[in-house]
Amino acid sequence: MANPLRGEVVKLYKNLLYLGREYPKGEIYFKERLKKAFMKNKDVTDPEKIKELIARGEFVVKEIEALYYLRKYRAMKQRYYEDDPK
Amino acid sequence: MASRALCVCVRAALRPLPRRSVAALSGAVCRQRSTLSTHAQPTPLLSKQVSSYLYKSCRQYSEGPPLTLESIAERVLYLTVNSHFMKDLGLDSLDQVEIIMAIEDEFGFEIPDADGEKLMTPQEIVDYIADKQDVYE
Repeated sequence: MANPLRGEVVKLYKNLLYLGREYPKGEIYFKERLKKAFMKNKDVTDPEKIKELIARGEFVVKEIEALYYLRKYRAMKQRYYEDDPK
Repeated sequence: MASRALCVCVRAALRPLPRRSVAALSGAVCRQRSTLSTHAQPTPLLSKQVSSYLYKSCRQYSEGPPLTLESIAERVLYLTVNSHFMKDLGLDSLDQVEIIMAIEDEFGFEIPDADGEKLMTPQEIVDYIADKQDVYE
């Protein structure tokens, strides 16, 4: 409970939840998967391992951000170049 | 008491036997029982029925304590505004984070993580929001 890394984990979870709101497959789908992913590692106590997992979470955050950028870019491209064959 | 002992014995005796002899034996036991008891039951053939029948005779017939308004209210309103999210509602810390986020959305201001993880009951959240938004009676 009083793990110093707890705050970081919670922050990561919050960040991911915020990002998940616009997930293409829906927020509920994202939430379920996210929760499962976190619960899978709930018994990890080794600080090194936790740091590693947090780093993986940060990577996932970046991936999702990249996904959103790509989506935005594609939507804009489709609007500006309608006759373009994709 | 006697019927309970009989019940235990019968179950112990029935377990190692193969299926067919179980049915035969339980039928025999059942006939024996029905002659003893006052209301005769149509002879069930399956051991499952027999055991439930025997169990029934072990049931206690005394009534529970009389209901009062308070006891009903207590049992129905098991959850209150003071129910603890984790201890009473069975949520985990991740659910609690989600609740805090929902509250943030609802009221449109951010709750710092340090404060957020202390809010464990609905009443605490109400007090916290009233405190932060300068709402007084």
